Amino acid sequence: METERMTACRIAEAVNRAEVSAYRLVEKILDRCNHLNANLNLFVSIAGSEALEQANKVDGMVKNGRSLPLAGVPVVVKDDFCYSAKPTTYGSPAFKNFSSPFNAAAVDKLLDAGAVIIGKTNLDGMSMGSTTAFSPNGPTRNPWDVNLVAGSAGAAAVVSEPGLIALESDSGGALRQGASHCGVLGLRPSIGRVSRYGLNVFSSSFGQAGIIASAATDLSVVLKVISGFDYRDASTALCNSTADQVADITKPEQITIGWPENLIDNLDSDQHNIFGQALENIQVKGFKLAKLSISYFPEALRAYHVIACAEASSNLSRYDGVRFGQAALAENLEELYFKSRRLTFGPEARRRSIFGTFLLSKGNFDLYYRQALKVWKLVRQEFSAVLDQCDLLLLPVVKNLPYPVAEQVDFLELYEGDLFCAPVSLAGLPAVSIPAGKADHLPLGLQLVGPPFSDELLIEAASRIMTNMTMPPGVS
Amino acid sequence: MDYEVVIGLEVHVELHTESKLFCSCPNHFTAEPNINICPVCLGFPGALPQMNREAVSKALIASLALNCEVALFSYFDRKNYFYPDMPKGYQISQYYVPIGSKGYLEIEDDGGHLKKVLIGRVHMEEDAGKLVHAVSGEYSMVDYNRAGVPLVEIVTDPDLRSPGEACRYLEQLKSILQYAMVSDCKMEEGSLRCDANISLRPLGSKSLGSKTELKNMNSFRAVERSLEHEIKRQKDILNCGKKVESQTLRWDEESQATIAMRGKLQAHDYRCFTDPELAPVELSSAEVEKARKNLPEMAEARAARFVSRLGLPEYDARVLTASRVMADYFESCLEFYNNTKAVSNWVMGEFAAQLNNAGIEADQCTFGPEHLVELLKMIDEKIISGKIAKDVLAKAFQTGRTPRQVVEEEGLLQISNHSELEAIIGKVIKENPASVENYRGGKTKVIGFLVGQVMKETGGKANPQLVNELLLEKLVE
Repeated sequence: METERMTACRIAEAVNRAEVSAYRLVEKILDRCNHLNANLNLFVSIAGSEALEQANKVDGMVKNGRSLPLAGVPVVVKDDFCYSAKPTTYGSPAFKNFSSPFNAAAVDKLLDAGAVIIGKTNLDGMSMGSTTAFSPNGPTRNPWDVNLVAGSAGAAAVVSEPGLIALESDSGGALRQGASHCGVLGLRPSIGRVSRYGLNVFSSSFGQAGIIASAATDLSVVLKVISGFDYRDASTALCNSTADQVADITKPEQITIGWPENLIDNLDSDQHNIFGQALENIQVKGFKLAKLSISYFPEALRAYHVIACAEASSNLSRYDGVRFGQAALAENLEELYFKSRRLTFGPEARRRSIFGTFLLSKGNFDLYYRQALKVWKLVRQEFSAVLDQCDLLLLPVVKNLPYPVAEQVDFLELYEGDLFCAPVSLAGLPAVSIPAGKADHLPLGLQLVGPPFSDELLIEAASRIMTNMTMPPGVS
Repeated sequence: MDYEVVIGLEVHVELHTESKLFCSCPNHFTAEPNINICPVCLGFPGALPQMNREAVSKALIASLALNCEVALFSYFDRKNYFYPDMPKGYQISQYYVPIGSKGYLEIEDDGGHLKKVLIGRVHMEEDAGKLVHAVSGEYSMVDYNRAGVPLVEIVTDPDLRSPGEACRYLEQLKSILQYAMVSDCKMEEGSLRCDANISLRPLGSKSLGSKTELKNMNSFRAVERSLEHEIKRQKDILNCGKKVESQTLRWDEESQATIAMRGKLQAHDYRCFTDPELAPVELSSAEVEKARKNLPEMAEARAARFVSRLGLPEYDARVLTASRVMADYFESCLEFYNNTKAVSNWVMGEFAAQLNNAGIEADQCTFGPEHLVELLKMIDEKIISGKIAKDVLAKAFQTGRTPRQVVEEEGLLQISNHSELEAIIGKVIKENPASVENYRGGKTKVIGFLVGQVMKETGGKANPQLVNELLLEKLVE
């Protein structure tokens, strides 16, 4: 079996038919991942023996006549999801030996569906960032150009090994931007589609579990597996009525894709060109286009950061050295807190924690946090109004192409990099980042955004619109 | 100068639920540390809170029982601060919109008049764990069994005017919450905890003086004493022309004094914001009305029933219904025994005295209703005298034996044997010729003295009625 142009669906099909053993497949994938890891720094840990054991189990089930939706499908999991077989480091040096006592809900669902977890992927400290430059393990390199960051280790793994699936998280856009930087599909599902139980999020309002894949069919199969009501995550109560949706675009002319002219005018020429090509392509595929305007992007970005930092300051308070992680030796309580939190937090986590504490404190609360809540409401209203004029919305994903690994980028510039993604998170909408073309030798994506629970429609539309990417030359 | 005392109370009550507020860990008091814990109540990375509807129902009942307005939409907020007993680094509480507000309850004021104490808010929150400090002072340990246990905090307006009123408020509050089955309200076990805000102002003044907050009072008596102590302390300060410093004080049981904990200048900024991991607490008006209709029988109603149906004196009915467990105990006795007044006398008297000595409640002792009934039946059957019965109750209560066991093992059977008693009576008559003379001379009252002497000889075990009869026979001989 050729691995090139492979999809997760085809792997599952072949394994279910016993045309290929999951064990053999996983052996090969593990070899390949070890090799990729040496060049790209993809993994925090590789789950070699655990993966082979699971593959064996899947083969056994197939032998007993079971058919599993993700039989033998290799999955890499971002290291902010709890997976008890391996440490869950959350990008913190103090957690390099931390074993979670439980699996994340999405991890359990993947395993139950016959998927095989290959390893935990690299991430920015406490998932804060869209570059992996803030990882204590160093940045993950971009398969298209190893001198640049990948943005998301999961995306880098998927583009290097089609058929592989990455379980990723997205707050301000890390998943979507990583997908763009690597030339793969990245889905940030609707709030409530996928249980976040067992996913470490610095921001509870925006942190979401999502999927990176190289084929649209893979996105929809995996979404079906990992979504659904989970009593442990209150947000999934919304999900009850929408289980097992199917979107079938038989008449693309009945679907209107809106695009904000005012934002596109300010793009650099590469992005502008690719956006133009995408619009043409959309028309060629028979969809209707609607020109419209969205005004609150800069405000939304700032509101996102205010709220996300405020929540981070609170969410990260549990890292005090008392119950888990590495505790520092200390003479008294204050020193324990001080030293242990120093061990646990990288510079960005420290910064956001301090920002958030400042933003919520007396006097600043009304000035910043309450204002941000107002903006939040306005942004939701504006997106909702815009989505009354169209079915789906086409937006840029990234503001810049990936940074060189060695470059020290100012944190504010990095925050500004979330300009097109964070407002969508703030609006609480699902989005899929799709490969749209290349700028120079690097892939560049765009995102489709839809109303809540339009995930299936998004995936289906993405499959029509996306540009088929080749493999990065260095990895094939 | 004369001062008016202004007191407001903040009471934390543990809700009596099966499980904790945001996880399925059991909500039971256990001595062994860190048994009732899970990733959620330990705040493990990735764990999310799940709301316990039973706790919401109990908080709703508490709000209604305290005559509150109920919010159909309320929220959980995070109160951020660091302490090792607080696993997440924040407490989930209702800061902005409490489930209940603008309630009241009625107490007697110092003049004996009925008075409404306004309750500003009733809100839900999670409890913290407990620190256990090593005797050496070298280290501390944390027990998270209590972390995440559901609480309601009940906050009064500054309506109370004396330590006595504060205590009557607490007694009334405890009674209501016990009757509503919301909490067992055991201050000693920490299921009811009280903080007090107290200030003094010149009599007639409308503005509030600067207040202090009192903590760590482990009994109603401690609340009363600490308030009295604090009133005196503040008076002395004011009388010297100085200002009372706004601060938090800890009641020290040993020295019976208040000790400063921290000044308000160092007070926390809790940076409260709505918890993004929890949905709003939604209640339908139908749900609220149903709960209102189903509110259980409260103390007053039960006392009225005891008077009208059981024929108890008003006084007995009020004493017995002061706590639900006591009233339950009383009514359980009546299932096996029909002398209502006898049960009432014994429950209010000897039984209550034993509870008081032991500092426990009626449902915490091994001396159950069936034991009291056994005791009363032994009196009826003249197996023991009433006087001996008091000792038997005490011994049975303290040792966990049944009254019958105590009587048998300690040889307390009443002496009703004629010849045995006659011998003793003969001895007493012989030793007290003067009294006998007096009796026969018409001073019949001395019989009491002679009966007493016989009882003394028998260690109180003689059947007093029989002694009386036999003595009369001998004396007229």
